[in-house]
Amino acid sequence: MNLTDEEKQILDGAFGAPQRIALKVLVKLGEAYGADRLVEIASAHVVGSSYQIAGEAGIEIYTQLVEQGARVKVRTTSDPGSIDFARWQQFKTPAGYAERQKKIAELLNRMGVIPTWTCTPYTTFNVPRFGEDLGWSESSAVVFVNSVIGARTNRLAAYVDVCAALAGRVPRFGLHLPEGRRGEVIFELTSDLSVNFEDHYFPALGYRVGQVTGDRIPVILGVRRATFDQLKAFGAAAAASGSVALYHMVGITPEARSLEEALGGRQPAERHVVGTREVQETMTQMSTGQDGPVDVVGVGCPHASLDQMKRYATLLEGKRVHRGVELWICANTVVEEMARRMGYLKTIEEAGAKLMVGTCHNDCPLGAWGFRRLVTDSGKFAYYTPTTVGTECIFAGTEACFEAAITGRVDRR
Amino acid sequence: MSSSKIIQGRGCSPGEFEGEVVVSLEPFGFWQGIDPETGIVINRRHDLWRASLANKAFVFPYGRGSTGTPGIFLEAVRNGCAPAAIVNVKSEPMIVACAILAEAFFKVSIPIVEGLPADYQKLLRTGDRVRISGVSGTIEVVSSG
Repeated sequence: MNLTDEEKQILDGAFGAPQRIALKVLVKLGEAYGADRLVEIASAHVVGSSYQIAGEAGIEIYTQLVEQGARVKVRTTSDPGSIDFARWQQFKTPAGYAERQKKIAELLNRMGVIPTWTCTPYTTFNVPRFGEDLGWSESSAVVFVNSVIGARTNRLAAYVDVCAALAGRVPRFGLHLPEGRRGEVIFELTSDLSVNFEDHYFPALGYRVGQVTGDRIPVILGVRRATFDQLKAFGAAAAASGSVALYHMVGITPEARSLEEALGGRQPAERHVVGTREVQETMTQMSTGQDGPVDVVGVGCPHASLDQMKRYATLLEGKRVHRGVELWICANTVVEEMARRMGYLKTIEEAGAKLMVGTCHNDCPLGAWGFRRLVTDSGKFAYYTPTTVGTECIFAGTEACFEAAITGRVDRR
Repeated sequence: MSSSKIIQGRGCSPGEFEGEVVVSLEPFGFWQGIDPETGIVINRRHDLWRASLANKAFVFPYGRGSTGTPGIFLEAVRNGCAPAAIVNVKSEPMIVACAILAEAFFKVSIPIVEGLPADYQKLLRTGDRVRISGVSGTIEVVSSG
């Protein structure tokens, strides 16, 4: 790999141990994947902020780095933690567990990481620009900033993201190169599906696209319009069921003004036609349980936007969450504060729903609750919660999720 | 066992290993895939459910990786129950990062070799004794299990 004089000095230790270790990790990774050089990044986002992911090994690594004087070189935000810092007791988090999460918070803070505790940092203090190189992790955020914004980042691994933040660089391969961003697999919607594309089809289509695409780059043809939140839901599902880090939605995302542009002049490897029947089939696969009584409802994966909070408040206006049902809305602290100012939070809480801030059902230990059946409108939750929460999971649209919370039952037919 | 067979792959992470292999035919994700306290597979949908990967050479086609993968992997390294070598058809950056980070932060080297043929189950079986070099990218079957 070609290194600059400054990079060579960093490797020699001229700028201290943390930068030397960080750069060494990045160079080794680059060498394994044929990178020609390192590239400077505008920002980083780190996923090892959660105790559930980082564990004691993470605390050891961060402690070592902090003791050696580590400071992030670029704007860096934190992914969710494993507790709601303000309400962990309400969510029955064991006190010892909360303490370990707070230890991670302290260590990241000392390195200069902005404590956003969110999988949607791009709605807070870390907003990338088109074409910028970044060093991000968190699969749902990576796919959003690559696809919807047109920034450039590979899916960094936990701790590699911290190395990128400390070094202010990443190895240049994969999605940092124009030729690494060309679409490979086409998904063409039938005209029937294209015309009647409902809100909850976004996570379902994303889930299907992820299953088929794996780690390649899909191109979606036939989506006529999509909101910020719908694109967020689509990408999060595709990144969970597959390892999709970038998608092109022709006419919608910035590197896909036309099919030709999305493919970068190459022939696609595969072409799939998707109709209403296929999307409905996928929705069935996304559920591991049957209709019936529900004890927990999860929305806000990825973390809810202010638009979504408004929608939730409307759905709960004058209603009451059923006795014995927990409706948890996951969001970040910025959206929480605005929802409070807008009065949405009051409506939500008066209905008996709870806001879960800075974490989510996936990241937080929920063993003490003994939940059996979870309902969600998120493709990512549908993929992971059977393992993380250990419940049956039913995928349903947002309205149907709120209906289930209010009636205490899910009935999809 | 004089007729030991050698499989040539590509070394992705340096290090040497000699010991037992555990072979899976399914992609694998470490996050929600193993218990980092024991190295035992906890993913019920996986063909190695309840098997131990601790200190063995773990053979699987490719990683299905959450970006949290090294979190769980390094916790297992710290507890002394991570796989001691990895062999894949294709090693994604998420898996290679685990070995690079284990070396950088815990001084543990985990050889990784990629480039197994798709029908690798004919060449390697759980319980076989192998010698792996992450430098030359070779996997030598010393004796069958």
